[in-house]
Amino acid sequence: MNEEHEGFSDNVHRYLDGEPHRPLTAEDRRRADRIKEISGEIRRRSGRRLDVSDRVMREVRRSQRPSQPAWVRPLEPRAVRLRPAVLVPSLAAAAIALFLAGMYLARETADPSRPLALVARNDTVYVRFELIAPSARSVYLAGSFNEWRPDEIPLARTHDGHWTVTIPLSVGEHSYQFVVNGERWVPDPNAEAVDDGFGGRNSVLVVGPRGVVGS
Amino acid sequence: MEARESLPEWRELSDGEVVRRVLDGDVELYRVLVDRYQVEFGRLAVAMLGDADAAEDALQEAFVSAYQRLGTCRHPDRFKHWLYRILANRCHDIRRGIAPTTSVDDLPLRAKDRADAATLDGELGEALRGALDALTPEQREAFILKEVEGRPYTEVAELTGVGVDALKMRVHRARDALRRTLELWK
Repeated sequence: MNEEHEGFSDNVHRYLDGEPHRPLTAEDRRRADRIKEISGEIRRRSGRRLDVSDRVMREVRRSQRPSQPAWVRPLEPRAVRLRPAVLVPSLAAAAIALFLAGMYLARETADPSRPLALVARNDTVYVRFELIAPSARSVYLAGSFNEWRPDEIPLARTHDGHWTVTIPLSVGEHSYQFVVNGERWVPDPNAEAVDDGFGGRNSVLVVGPRGVVGS
Repeated sequence: MEARESLPEWRELSDGEVVRRVLDGDVELYRVLVDRYQVEFGRLAVAMLGDADAAEDALQEAFVSAYQRLGTCRHPDRFKHWLYRILANRCHDIRRGIAPTTSVDDLPLRAKDRADAATLDGELGEALRGALDALTPEQREAFILKEVEGRPYTEVAELTGVGVDALKMRVHRARDALRRTLELWK
């Protein structure tokens, strides 16, 4: 970040960030120290200790016990039919083919929000995921392919509340869900799902060398 | 009045171990997580909401919600980060519903008792609350975590899931906005 902000200079921000900086003018230092005073005042006024243990535990005892997580038991494999894919020999060609395949498949399918698959190599398939969530602030993709880390694969918001991401997946079975606003796990409403046996459902897809698996 | 349970040996357990034991049926062990994070996150909630009553409610709701959805916590060892996100979202939702001109006189009596110590109250407090209200939710969150709480950028990044560069941009813009808003504060 080298451009000047309307406000403090980059040098003052570096000073406040504790980073190497040039000597400040007296006026810059006064204003920077004002920010420190403000922060300190907010911290002092927020300092009272809150104690909610008893109230929380009363509610916890009244609540239904949470069910066991879905990853405790292995999922039963279930094949999913994907749209036909185009074989592409290189990543560069794959980028172009992905666009063309998207157009081809958009014409072919009545449901463009289903996972879209494109083969890049014999052992890797590019798959596009999409979720329609107009009121979401963030959407991430988590699944067996990234050890269910909920903050690693962000979807990009495109238009009208559509969130998409395209990632390479190895040949085989993959289970996944979307993570909305960092806290709510949502199965893909447009994909096949598997009952995990504990009342929950994980979305599942199976990719083969050509991106299509018979169910 | 409930007697506080003494669970000294359980305090050595990691978050992940506590979560797994709670899911196995040891419900009372959830108190370990509440005790572990209520001070840190309570302070954060007060800073974000500027009101101790609202912060206490938000904190309680976050802990209860986290318990009810504990089976969906994919990484129990990162319970703290997951809980933080639940609390931050709740604070965002409360701010959208709280009137910006809430007066201390309108609050319940018990809140008035704590007004001096735990709220952004008085002339200065009103100015600070107004200044924080003028920030975007993302700027306010980043500013409070970095400047008010004094956490390093790497820790804030881990907690929020936002990259360091983006966080710096938010904090810098928050500082600039606060400077303009509080230019007349002496």
